[in-house]
Amino acid sequence: MAHASAPPPARPLGGLLIVALVEIVGAAALREFLLAEDWRWVLVLLAAFGAVLVALERRPALEARIAEAFARHRRAATLLGIAIALVFPFVLEKSSYALHLCVIAQLYAVLALALNFQLGSANIPNFATGASYGIGAYASALLALNFEVSFWLALPAAAVVATIFGFLLGLPSMRTKDSYLALVTIAFGVVIHQLLNNLEVTGGPNGLVGIPAPELFGHSFASPLAVLGYELPSQANFYYLSAVLVLIAIVFAGRLHDSRVGLAWNALRADELAARCQGINTTWYKVLAFAVDAFLAGFAGTVYAFYVGFISPDNFTFLVSVTIMTMVIAGGMDNILGVIVGAVLLTLLPEKLRAFSDYRILFFGVTVIAFLMIRPQGIFPQRLRRYGG
Amino acid sequence: MTDLVAQQILNWLTLGSIYALVAVGFSLLFGVLNIIHFSHGDVSLMSPFLALGLVQALGAGAGGISSPAAMVAFAIVAIALTGLLGVLLDILIIQRFRTAPAMMALVATVALGIVLRELIRHLFPNGSNPHAFPRLVTGDAMLFGFRVPAFNATAILVAIVAVSLLFLMLNRTRLGLHIRAVSLDRDAARLMAINPGRVFRATFFIASAIGAIGGLFFSSYAGMVRFDFSIDIGLIGFSAAVVGGLGSMPGAIIGSLLISGLDTLVQATVPNGASYRLVFVFLLVIGVLVFKPAGLLGRTVTEKV
Repeated sequence: MAHASAPPPARPLGGLLIVALVEIVGAAALREFLLAEDWRWVLVLLAAFGAVLVALERRPALEARIAEAFARHRRAATLLGIAIALVFPFVLEKSSYALHLCVIAQLYAVLALALNFQLGSANIPNFATGASYGIGAYASALLALNFEVSFWLALPAAAVVATIFGFLLGLPSMRTKDSYLALVTIAFGVVIHQLLNNLEVTGGPNGLVGIPAPELFGHSFASPLAVLGYELPSQANFYYLSAVLVLIAIVFAGRLHDSRVGLAWNALRADELAARCQGINTTWYKVLAFAVDAFLAGFAGTVYAFYVGFISPDNFTFLVSVTIMTMVIAGGMDNILGVIVGAVLLTLLPEKLRAFSDYRILFFGVTVIAFLMIRPQGIFPQRLRRYGG
Repeated sequence: MTDLVAQQILNWLTLGSIYALVAVGFSLLFGVLNIIHFSHGDVSLMSPFLALGLVQALGAGAGGISSPAAMVAFAIVAIALTGLLGVLLDILIIQRFRTAPAMMALVATVALGIVLRELIRHLFPNGSNPHAFPRLVTGDAMLFGFRVPAFNATAILVAIVAVSLLFLMLNRTRLGLHIRAVSLDRDAARLMAINPGRVFRATFFIASAIGAIGGLFFSSYAGMVRFDFSIDIGLIGFSAAVVGGLGSMPGAIIGSLLISGLDTLVQATVPNGASYRLVFVFLLVIGVLVFKPAGLLGRTVTEKV
C-alpha cells in the first residue's frame, strides 16, 4: 500500500529544474519589482503575477507538479532559497531604497506570520499585533537608551516583555470570544497607544530618539557592509538580520503548524466546543496563540527600533494591526508561503504605486473586503497536511 | 461646589445620552443580525459630514452654517440619508456575510469602517482637517428646575424620545414584532411569512438613523468634527453595548451611562485625565468582560455542538 500512492519515479532532474526555475524566476521578478521606477512597468509585473496565479488555478495539474517537486526536493529548495536570499542584496544595484523596502517587507512578513497563529490557525480575531510590535520596540529601545543594553541582549528581553503582555492580553480570552474578544484586543491596542503617547518614560508623542545601531564583532550595523571588496549600503546589515528573523519565524511557524499545537489550533477554528469535547485544553491553546504572536511581534519590533533608530507611538497604531491583518487575509490564512507573499506584496505595492500611496489605508480596507467577499481563502489557500509523505 | 457637581452631572447625562444613541444601534443590529456591525460608529459619524456638505452646497441662501434653522433642517436630511447609507451598505456588503463565520463578518465590518473613514478624508473638501460644527441649539432652558444650556437639555430629551420610540416600535408595532421574530429565529420567522431581508434593511435604517442623531450631537457637543472621531464614538458606543450586554436595549443605556460616568469622573479628577480617558474606559470594559462575559444584562447563551 505504501508504494501504491508513491509518485512516479524517474525525472529527479526535472524536479530539481522546476524548483530552481520557480525560485530564480520568483527572485528575478521581485528584483524587477523592487527596482521598477515606472508605474506602468509595475502594473505589467503585477499583471504577470496575476496571470501566473490564474494559470495555476486553471491548471491544477501544473500546480500539483510544482508542489510535488518542492516536496520531493525539500532540502535542495531550502538551500537554493537561502542562497538566493544571501545573494539578493548584490543584485539590487546598491539601491538603499530597495534594500530598505526589503527590510520592511521582511519585518511585516514576521508580523504576519505571528498573527497567522491566531487569525489563520485558530481563528481568534486579534487586533493588537501592532501593540505587541510596539511593546517590543519600546522595551528594547528603553533598555538600550537607559541601561545601555546591547541589541543582542535587548532582542530576547523585549520578546519576553512582549510575551508577558501577550499573556495578559490572552487572559480575558479565557472568558470571552468572537466579537467580545475582538473588542478586548482593540481596547488593548488603544490603551497601549495612549499610554505610549502620554507616559513620561516613553517620551510621549515625540517617542524615543537616538537608539544606537547594533554591533557585531566590532562591525557597526550603521556602516556599509563590505563583502569581498563589494560594498553594500548599510541597510544590507539589517536585510540579513531580518532575513534570519524571517527564517526563524518560518521554521517556528512550520514546526508549530505540523505539531499537535497546530492541529489543536485548527480544531479550535473548526469548532471550539467540539474541540473541548475532544479533550483539547482550549483556554491554554488560546492563551498560547496570544503569547506566540506577541513573542514574534516583539522580535520584529526590536529589529525595527534598532533599524530606524527612532520610534514614536504613531508607528504602532490600530492601523498597523489592520495592515498586518490584511496581509494574512489576502495572502491566505494558515499558509506560510501565502502569508509571506501577502506581506511582501502589500508592503511594496503602496510604495511602488506612488500615485496612490496617499490612499494606502483605503486600499487596505478595500482589499480586505474584496478578499473576504470574493476569495476568503486568500491567494494561497491552506493545504491539507501531509503525513509521512 | 454644588455648581461644579451639577455641571459634571449635566455633562455625564449629556455624554451618556449621546453614547446611548450610538450604543442602542450596535445592540439592535447585533440582536437581529447576530454579527457585530463594527462600522456602525463610522456610519453614525457620516451624518455631521453630510449635514455640513449639504449646508455648504445648498444652504448658502438660507444663512449657511451660521443659521441654526438651516443647520437643523439639513441635519434632519442628513439623518435620513445616513439611514439609507446603512441600508445601502447592508445590500452591497454586509448581506454577503449573513451565513459566513462570525469572524469574517467582524473583520469585514472593521475594514468597512476604515473605508468609510478614508472616503470622508479623501472626498470631503479638506477632509483631513477638523471642521467647525455649530451648536444645533443655542440659549438656555429649564430642566428639572435647573437652568441649563438648551443644547444639553435637547440632547438628553432627544435621546430619551428616540430610545422610547424605539422601545415602542419594537414592542407595539408589526415591524417590531417581525424584528423580534427574526432576532429570535431567522428560519422560523421565514416560515411565518416574514421576509428577513426586509427586516434586516429596516433594522439597518433605524439603527443608522438613531446613530446619526448621536453623531450629530457628538460633533455639536465637541464643536467640531474630524474624520477619525468615528474611532472614538464607534469604540465607545460598542463598548457601552458590550458592557450592558449585546442585544439588550436597557443594557446599552446602562452601559452608556456607566462609561460616560467614568469618562466624566476621570476627566474631572485625574490630572491630565483627558488624554488617559480611553485607558480607563477600556479597563472598565475588560474588567466587566472578564467577570461577566455576556455583559451586565446580556443573556448567557448555552452552546451546543
